[in-house]
Amino acid sequence: MNWNAFLEFVRGPLFQVSLLVFVAGMLYRLVRVLMLGWSRDNVPSKGSKGGGVVKSFLKSILIWPFIPWVKRTFSKNPVIYLAGGLFHLALLVVLILGTAHMLVWKSLLGFGWATLPLPMVDWMAAVGIAAMVALLIHRLVNPVMRLISGPSEWANWTLVFLPMVSGYMLTHHMFFRYEVLFSIHMLVVDILLIWIPLSRISHFIFYFFARTIHGVEFGKRAVNP
Amino acid sequence: MQTLEAMNVFVEETGGWVASQLEACTRCGMCAEACHFYQGTGNPEYAPVWKLELLRRAYEQRFTLTGKFKLLLGIDKRISDEDLDHWSEINYYACTVCNKCSMVCPMGIDLGPLLHEVRAGLAAAGKVPDDLMVAVNKQIEEGSPLGMTSEVWDSRLEWVADDWDVVIPRDVKGADTLVVFSSIEVMKFPSNIAAIAKILNKAGENWTVSSKAREVVNFGFYEGSEEHTKLFLQRVLDGAKELGVKRIVVTECGHAYDALRWLAGNLIPEANDFEITHITGVLGELVGSGRIKVKPGFFDENDSGTITFHDACKIQRRGGYIKEPREVLNILAPKSFKEMTPNREEAICCGGGGGVIAIKAADPMRYAAFELKIEQVNKVGATTVTMSCSNCRLQFTDGVEHFNLDWKITGLAQMVADAMED
Repeated sequence: MNWNAFLEFVRGPLFQVSLLVFVAGMLYRLVRVLMLGWSRDNVPSKGSKGGGVVKSFLKSILIWPFIPWVKRTFSKNPVIYLAGGLFHLALLVVLILGTAHMLVWKSLLGFGWATLPLPMVDWMAAVGIAAMVALLIHRLVNPVMRLISGPSEWANWTLVFLPMVSGYMLTHHMFFRYEVLFSIHMLVVDILLIWIPLSRISHFIFYFFARTIHGVEFGKRAVNP
Repeated sequence: MQTLEAMNVFVEETGGWVASQLEACTRCGMCAEACHFYQGTGNPEYAPVWKLELLRRAYEQRFTLTGKFKLLLGIDKRISDEDLDHWSEINYYACTVCNKCSMVCPMGIDLGPLLHEVRAGLAAAGKVPDDLMVAVNKQIEEGSPLGMTSEVWDSRLEWVADDWDVVIPRDVKGADTLVVFSSIEVMKFPSNIAAIAKILNKAGENWTVSSKAREVVNFGFYEGSEEHTKLFLQRVLDGAKELGVKRIVVTECGHAYDALRWLAGNLIPEANDFEITHITGVLGELVGSGRIKVKPGFFDENDSGTITFHDACKIQRRGGYIKEPREVLNILAPKSFKEMTPNREEAICCGGGGGVIAIKAADPMRYAAFELKIEQVNKVGATTVTMSCSNCRLQFTDGVEHFNLDWKITGLAQMVADAMED
């Protein structure tokens, strides 16, 4: 098999098609939800809706990741909590502050930025992979997680895990030739990009809706969200 | 056919707010750890996300490509009549719609109102537990789920006025404030009526009760039926309109306050003509401003042991009266008042709300959930538990008897009345 030709395909035309599907798919999802209609709330508020929204986001950005032990749910299950948080942190660090990924962004956006040294990004990637394994074990053994996990949930885990682990192997030139690993990494990234609009990985957009609604509902009642 | 009825409601109610929140769910399962029914029983089906399953399926299969595709592949199933029966039990037996789950959701999904939509679908399909439906029908026919007909109301109120030697203004046209009691208070905690009457008289309020608006309890809201909810809300509003009051004060009843304060104005626009408030807010204002004089430290001197306050889901977490009870208790019992953990908006629900206490078959779940409360109260070493919701109070009174606990259960209004200076 000509791996070089395959690599050109998966990082070239297929990547572009996948990106297009990803963007168009997410836009479709967004418009679809927006078009379903939003009822007006005519009841006078006790507190401030806007204030509630601000607090709701602050809680999500400052309290949840940094002082999670204020929550009982944290003390009940700290490993899973940390795994979830570290996974997202690792994802952001590697995707935005990793040099290789920044160069992809640069080719798409036309500008780049300073990145972290490779060893740091590499450690974050390892942390992210370990977190994913912890989350998988949790999903396999916890009775609630087993109940609410269907084929889509397993697909989500697999399709997020493959780019991470192939990227890690690529950085370390593990087991296979460089072009083979690079091709596989790009292929699974392409598949993931197409999968996201079809799955719950799209929560990164709807998160903003849910947080806002939560803030409005608590704010109007003058309760801390 | 029943499934169709339920689906229709799910589809109708699915506006952007339902859809966007269902889409935000990552199925992380964290909400389970917040649910007192899951914690109390360990049954994974009581995870709030699983209780929503019907609404999720209806939404995805009707509105999303993935949902239609999954249906085609046989990965997702259509909702069947058996599913409705199954989720009816999960939702009505083991959920008080207390909304604690929304406090722990990393996405911030407001699960309570979504769970209410599940009930709406089940109600349309006629899948409401019999015990609850009996109560709903009783309220439709007799005006009260506890059988508080107009005659019973008259005689109970006369008896309270006589026995506690208190004036209760009835059907006074042109009064400023209409006080709406729950039948739980009238029938089970009559001293609460006397207590609130004494306080309002002492404060010189121009208030009244109404025989038309005699029942503030709303079993249609528990059921999830918008039609019945509206019918019962309308009765209260009609009573208020007839007497020409400006303000409606809901007494110690949680869900009734939730329905009247936050829902009525969107179902019946004229509800917004009234200022709708809760007795906890009134107590906070009267005591705080000194309009009624209470003996500071009254409950410290009476050696009643440690007193703790139970936050009701609909009055504190979803009502916003969080600081008022603390202010009052810090005057009445600055030394003996101690907080449970978690408290305030993070409090653990009593386990009896949402109509659960009215369903006999739900008793095992209800008691299992109450065990969390027992642990909390014992941890703080309290011998008196006070609260501002008579539905919680019913659950506590019953729990104390069931578990043979040596606690005194009381209400905030009762405590204020007891500590009032003559």
